[in-house]
Amino acid sequence: MSRRWDLKWVALTLLVGTLLVVLVLWPIGELIAVAIEQYGLEGADAERARQSAVNTLAVGLLVAVVAGSLGALGALVTERTAVPGKAWLRVGILLPILIPPFVSALSWTRAYGPGGLTDDLLGVSADGLFGLFGVVAVVAVNAVPLSYLLTVAALNSRVESDVERAARISGASPASTLGTITVPLLAPALAGIGALGFVLGINAFGVPAVLGSPVGFRTVTTLIYEDLALSARPEAFRRAILLATGLVVAAVTFVIVAEVLLRSVGTAPRSAAGSGPQLAKVRPRWGVAALAWAFVATTSILPLVALGLVALTRGVGLPPVPENLTFANFAEALDGRLLGALLRSVGLALLAATVGILLGAGVAALRKRRFGGVFGVVVLMTFAVPGSTLAVAMILAHGRLLRDTLLIILAAYVAKLWAVGHRAIAGSAENVAPHLYLAARSSGASSFSAVRTILVPMLRPALAGGWVLIFLIAFHEVTMSSLLYGPGTETLAVAVLNLQQLGDVPVSSALAVILTVPLLLVAIPLLTSSRIPRRFLGTG
Amino acid sequence: MTPAVRIEDLSVGYGDTEVLRGVSLTVAQGETLALLGPSGSGKTTLLYTVAGFIEPTAGEIEIGDVLVTGAHGGVKPEDRDIGMVFQNYALWPHMTALDTVAYPLRRAGRPKAEAREAGREVLALVGLAGLEERKPAEMSGGQQQRVGLARALARNARLYLFDEPTAHLDSSVQRSVQEEIARRRRDSGAAAIYATHDSSEALSLADRVAIIREGVIIQIGTPGEVYDRPVDVWAARLTGPASVLKAELEAVTADGLDVRVGESRVSVPASGSPTGPIDLLVRPEWVKPGGSLKGVISEVWYRGPYTEYEIRTPHGMLTTSMPGWPVMSRGDEAGWTIERAWIPDQAGQDAPKVS
Repeated sequence: MSRRWDLKWVALTLLVGTLLVVLVLWPIGELIAVAIEQYGLEGADAERARQSAVNTLAVGLLVAVVAGSLGALGALVTERTAVPGKAWLRVGILLPILIPPFVSALSWTRAYGPGGLTDDLLGVSADGLFGLFGVVAVVAVNAVPLSYLLTVAALNSRVESDVERAARISGASPASTLGTITVPLLAPALAGIGALGFVLGINAFGVPAVLGSPVGFRTVTTLIYEDLALSARPEAFRRAILLATGLVVAAVTFVIVAEVLLRSVGTAPRSAAGSGPQLAKVRPRWGVAALAWAFVATTSILPLVALGLVALTRGVGLPPVPENLTFANFAEALDGRLLGALLRSVGLALLAATVGILLGAGVAALRKRRFGGVFGVVVLMTFAVPGSTLAVAMILAHGRLLRDTLLIILAAYVAKLWAVGHRAIAGSAENVAPHLYLAARSSGASSFSAVRTILVPMLRPALAGGWVLIFLIAFHEVTMSSLLYGPGTETLAVAVLNLQQLGDVPVSSALAVILTVPLLLVAIPLLTSSRIPRRFLGTG
Repeated sequence: MTPAVRIEDLSVGYGDTEVLRGVSLTVAQGETLALLGPSGSGKTTLLYTVAGFIEPTAGEIEIGDVLVTGAHGGVKPEDRDIGMVFQNYALWPHMTALDTVAYPLRRAGRPKAEAREAGREVLALVGLAGLEERKPAEMSGGQQQRVGLARALARNARLYLFDEPTAHLDSSVQRSVQEEIARRRRDSGAAAIYATHDSSEALSLADRVAIIREGVIIQIGTPGEVYDRPVDVWAARLTGPASVLKAELEAVTADGLDVRVGESRVSVPASGSPTGPIDLLVRPEWVKPGGSLKGVISEVWYRGPYTEYEIRTPHGMLTTSMPGWPVMSRGDEAGWTIERAWIPDQAGQDAPKVS
């Protein structure tokens, strides 16, 4: 096919190119320029920046190790062990995807913190919850689904069951098979997953904001928030810019490392006949299942229950017995100002999802055209830019015009989540072999009707999946919106965070429930029945 | 002598579906049993159950004189003394050919240098001398499967399991790998179960052939038996080309049955006295040109060594083949003689009514 410069392709190229410059390259360039220009911190300012960098590094490294090993362990349990109730266990492990990390942090404080559920019932509370330990624990638990899914994908593409069976029949015990075959084959993928865990750790904002800030445990992201949102000193502004620059360099570097290491996942040759029959009729491992469920219960279910109970209880410190239960917190949460925040969050998420998918489709359509590959790379790199950095960059580039408007939040969302739409569509478009399109053309379809009747129906699940994913992330987003909101543009997530910091435990809990539970109710049946997890997990 | 494998009334199920039902068979020491069936018939499941990867829902398996099935999954795969060759090679992507072949010896506790030396010998045996340091990605399919074979041989087991080892190979190397496997198996003197969906592979390699359909063994016999006297039409078509003609019973004789196809008569080495029309099974090479069975040639396929003719007769379509170039063309009418025939089970189901 000739690469004709049709008008529509020129227009689309210009549109995508312009938007990439305005939304990504310009802000980042501006950020780095100002950072270099303004460099020069002294005394306490410098010390605080240094300490936050050390804390961030510690969080990143620990999250990489903890989330990486927990995810790998979970993958081995569900993919290589005869645990009963496998489908539900997968949902349990994936549950944190559906919970915004800062809501997890809130719910952990309600469950295990002083005055929390375990304190009420057993007189036990986790003193270390506030500080490094708690931040690492909650960020890691929220990173487990990603690490689990990637390990499962790596297991299924790199380590066919027959490869392990061949070791067993060669005389290797299960442990020796794991050590000599499975783990060496997974090693690059595990390293890549660790790199991603590191990025998730250093980019985390909501969790350290809830669990770190109260005890003065600052990370780069929370210090940026303090400097931008809570301080008016010019030194603080300079420091925020410097920190944001450092963060983006670290994050992008490690995302590139992860991309390279994870490239093998999913592309390794998988023989047509697959791995033969699944292992069946082996003794169910009730002990393993119990351990796995204990993990899910401690990390996700119990905290959510505690959060719900606090939201339903009349006042802080009252036991959740029937006479203390009330819906008043919900009524207050949905009253006036906060209802506005809910509507803004929904509206922003709807817009971000729709625009993100359309732009993602645009980049995917340009994939084979001039500059198409470059666009794809730039869009993916934007996803690697930490939310804190992107928000600072947005203020620098577009703040003069759009400061404190919903538009700047939407712009940040689209810039960040464009990649999600692009990846969903591009990944799926790769699977639509060109000959399907050509077969339609040779059956008499025009190029437009071939796209309409063949490509769009085949891409529909990917479009829908990408849309839902962007909606979910945008709805739960707190890092960028907490830096970009102004009077009257507060989102629901920001409202929860602010109420929490003001100490309004019941109402912030009720809001957190509103933010989380409806999605859980919709998503859990989908996770158990739909083809999404099955495609991910390769068990279809 | 104790058989190499004895399988007794074995059943395997995944959830609600039964994959194997009441499978019983034995393999004698040094014998090769081909397991012939279409894909999805349960061949791999049976091999995996013998290997210990799948636990049966009922029945037992003895390997040598050891009962390997039983409580807690029975004897573990690594303790079953089996060498196995997998359909998709199942080579370890991170290991060289030599490390792969030395692996079973290392697991058996042999020192590294000794295991590698022995591995080198086995690789040379299967014609891979010089490729010791290659990884799977650097080898052709045929070479990879030779490594798979060498790995199984290095185990020095008393029983080999071959799970369609040539199914993924190009047809040009299929034959040579097949022959390599047959030779090495023979030299080792071990027994083998060889799963395949290819009848010519099964008939040429095996001492006996077990035909499996939907998890049930429907016939076991020597290659000659299953080819000449297939239990039903389905088994006949699985083991080779076959035509089915409508015939009638003429007489019951001491040697079997005399049946009539139109004007043509043939005696069949079968017993019993079927009533009504008979489905008569005829292999291509059982038909000779000239004779009283008239037919019109409807298709002619030149296959190289021989030419295949499809003949429309009043009693059904008849396929035959003759060496060399086509000597007749479409539309020609000719007479034929059926020299041999077989009466398979008329219902085409499990048990033969005449045998």
